[in-house]
Amino acid sequence: MISTDHLNLSTSMNKLKTISKLLVVLAASSLVLSCRKAIVEPYKKWGFNSPDYFPAPVYNFENNKQDFKKFTLGRALFYDPLLSSDGTVSCASCHANSHAFAGHNTALSPGVNNLVGTRNSPSIVNLAWSPSFMWDGGINHIEVMPIAPLTNPVEMNESLANIILKLKASERYKKLFREAYGTEEVTDQRILKSLAQFMMMIVSNNSKYDQMKRGEVSFTATEQQGYSLFQQKCSQCHTEPLFTDYSFRNNGLDLTFSDQGRYLITQQSNDLGKFKVPTLRNVLMTYPYMHDGRFYTINQVLEHYNTGVKHTSTLDPLLDNGIPLTASEKTQIIAFLRTLNDDNILTDYWLSEPKE
Amino acid sequence: MKNTFKLGVTALVLTIAVACKKEKIEPTTPTTGTDVVTLKIEHTWQDSLEFALNTDLVNPLTGDSLNFTTFKYYISNIRLKKNDGTWWTQPNSYFLLDLANGTTPSVQLTGVPYGEYTDVEYVLGVDSTRNVSGAQDGALSPSLGMFWSWNSGYIMLKAEGLSPDASMGGSFAYHLGGFSGSNNVVTTKSHTFVGNSLSVTGNGNCQIHLSAAPQTLWQTAGSVSMNSMIHMPGSGAKTMADDFYGSFEFEHIHE
Ligand code: HEC
Ligand code: HEC
Repeated sequence: MISTDHLNLSTSMNKLKTISKLLVVLAASSLVLSCRKAIVEPYKKWGFNSPDYFPAPVYNFENNKQDFKKFTLGRALFYDPLLSSDGTVSCASCHANSHAFAGHNTALSPGVNNLVGTRNSPSIVNLAWSPSFMWDGGINHIEVMPIAPLTNPVEMNESLANIILKLKASERYKKLFREAYGTEEVTDQRILKSLAQFMMMIVSNNSKYDQMKRGEVSFTATEQQGYSLFQQKCSQCHTEPLFTDYSFRNNGLDLTFSDQGRYLITQQSNDLGKFKVPTLRNVLMTYPYMHDGRFYTINQVLEHYNTGVKHTSTLDPLLDNGIPLTASEKTQIIAFLRTLNDDNILTDYWLSEPKE
Repeated sequence: MKNTFKLGVTALVLTIAVACKKEKIEPTTPTTGTDVVTLKIEHTWQDSLEFALNTDLVNPLTGDSLNFTTFKYYISNIRLKKNDGTWWTQPNSYFLLDLANGTTPSVQLTGVPYGEYTDVEYVLGVDSTRNVSGAQDGALSPSLGMFWSWNSGYIMLKAEGLSPDASMGGSFAYHLGGFSGSNNVVTTKSHTFVGNSLSVTGNGNCQIHLSAAPQTLWQTAGSVSMNSMIHMPGSGAKTMADDFYGSFEFEHIHE
């Protein structure tokens, strides 16, 4: 580029000036263009995607057909603290994009006025395949799921009726509702169906494990050993490819149950102390662990299965003798669990907080 | 075209012939069309007195002093039986009766085809399908406060109030629901119009009157001093709902 010919220098300079003028004009016009369509180019196409080695989703998309505008409204609602009574807490406060949609690595996640509940905030990935919600499975449909955190006094502490009023008064939401549903009318059904549209899209299917399943990469020797151990010792409950069979089980955490788990819903004594088997996707990012976040590290979890299993009448029979694990087996299992980290969940443009 | 026309004429003649057999129908009455039928439910206390909110009442069954602040419940899936044995079913038939707006609430059945009706059928509570199908709207909107957030399902009946006899701090609150297994409270009721038939002919005055007796909530459950709060499905809710739903009776029709 830089001419060594001194005679030609000035002409080159002139040429450069013209080029830079041109560049300015170009930049200006592209600015105008980009202002017209303010959407930043995402790197991934929008749309629900179920890999062929996943089972059929449980969610009935027929009753809430995938729609980009409804999703956009749901995405705005998910990230908006306006939905809480004092405007400080959003769904994302406890289900953070940067933490695979689990809490911020605290045992309990604070709601309004820094109040806390009694349970650990789970990672909300792959909900389209989940037949029930909450650690005790008390909620039977993803569309009615948000009512619990929205109205819970220690979470968002707001009434649906008041949320409707607040959204009605907002110019931003008038536009979003009109675009999504054709009219500005705000109803709880529209709010809930839109939130479901957003949550259905939180799909984790691009971890190293997934890439291995699709034949795109292979595991290291240690990962492979860990995978074999996992299949022998863990997958009866943490079943592939979603890493849960969605059943309720007691994995031996306690002798007495301060949280009665599934019993709270069924009132059946054989459900005492049972909780939903959680997914292990992104598990190394979503510490602390268990329904109350009692274990801070994955090592503590493995040590629990190794030596800590407590015997009560509802203990899962598979755990009668615990799960004996040597130090090297633990290392291998952890190496395998690391292959369940899915960075796409953290970086997917569509899942990030929208700019207003 | 011609055939259709002939068919049409035959059908018309036939209908007129049928209609003419019945003396009730005046020759001028149109034979097709729809009308509104009103279903009214009167709530009584001690059989003769009218039930009222924010009023001191004594339950004749238990002797408890009660002052209701809230009384609401769902009625759904209303159908009417014609004298030919077929049913007219109201589409999207869900109503939340809130006695704060008067203790003889009514439900409008719109689009009832002309004809002679002999029975009414309805569901007390919300059918199981609507309890498991996600976010609903209208009378079933969760924003109406009749949906359990942590244990999915409709609160099918809410009775709240004050009572010096209550086991819990001078107040009572019964949230009754449950749609599956032994906890299922959803009840289908039907009544025949005891020998009469309701002629829906377009005069706009057709009414079906039913009655219900709130004090029967405690018929088996006993005094509020034993248990003054129910907040989830279970045998307690089932007993109270069954007894109250059992008190629904047919009163009369008029046209
Ligand atoms: C204050 C923290 C907090 C806020 C705010 C919050 N959640 Fe949660 N979320 C939790 C906790 C804790 C649980 C587990 C509760 C339980 O099992 O009892 C949970 C559970 C869930 C689940 C069930 C996941 C499963 O697999 O069972 C979903 C879905 C969910 N939340 C979505 C939302 C949405 C949508 C919002 C916003 C409307 C929201 N959450 C707001 C803490 C929070
Ligand atoms: C008998 C069924 C069963 C088996 C076998 C089992 N788990 Fe679990 N696992 C559970 C249940 C149930 C929970 C949730 C318990 C609770 O929170 O009360 C759980 C929780 C976990 C958690 C916490 C996840 C979170 O997000 O909080 C991890 C990690 C875990 N298991 C790993 C493993 C590993 C690794 C193995 C094999 C060595 C294994 N589990 C075997 C049933 C099982």
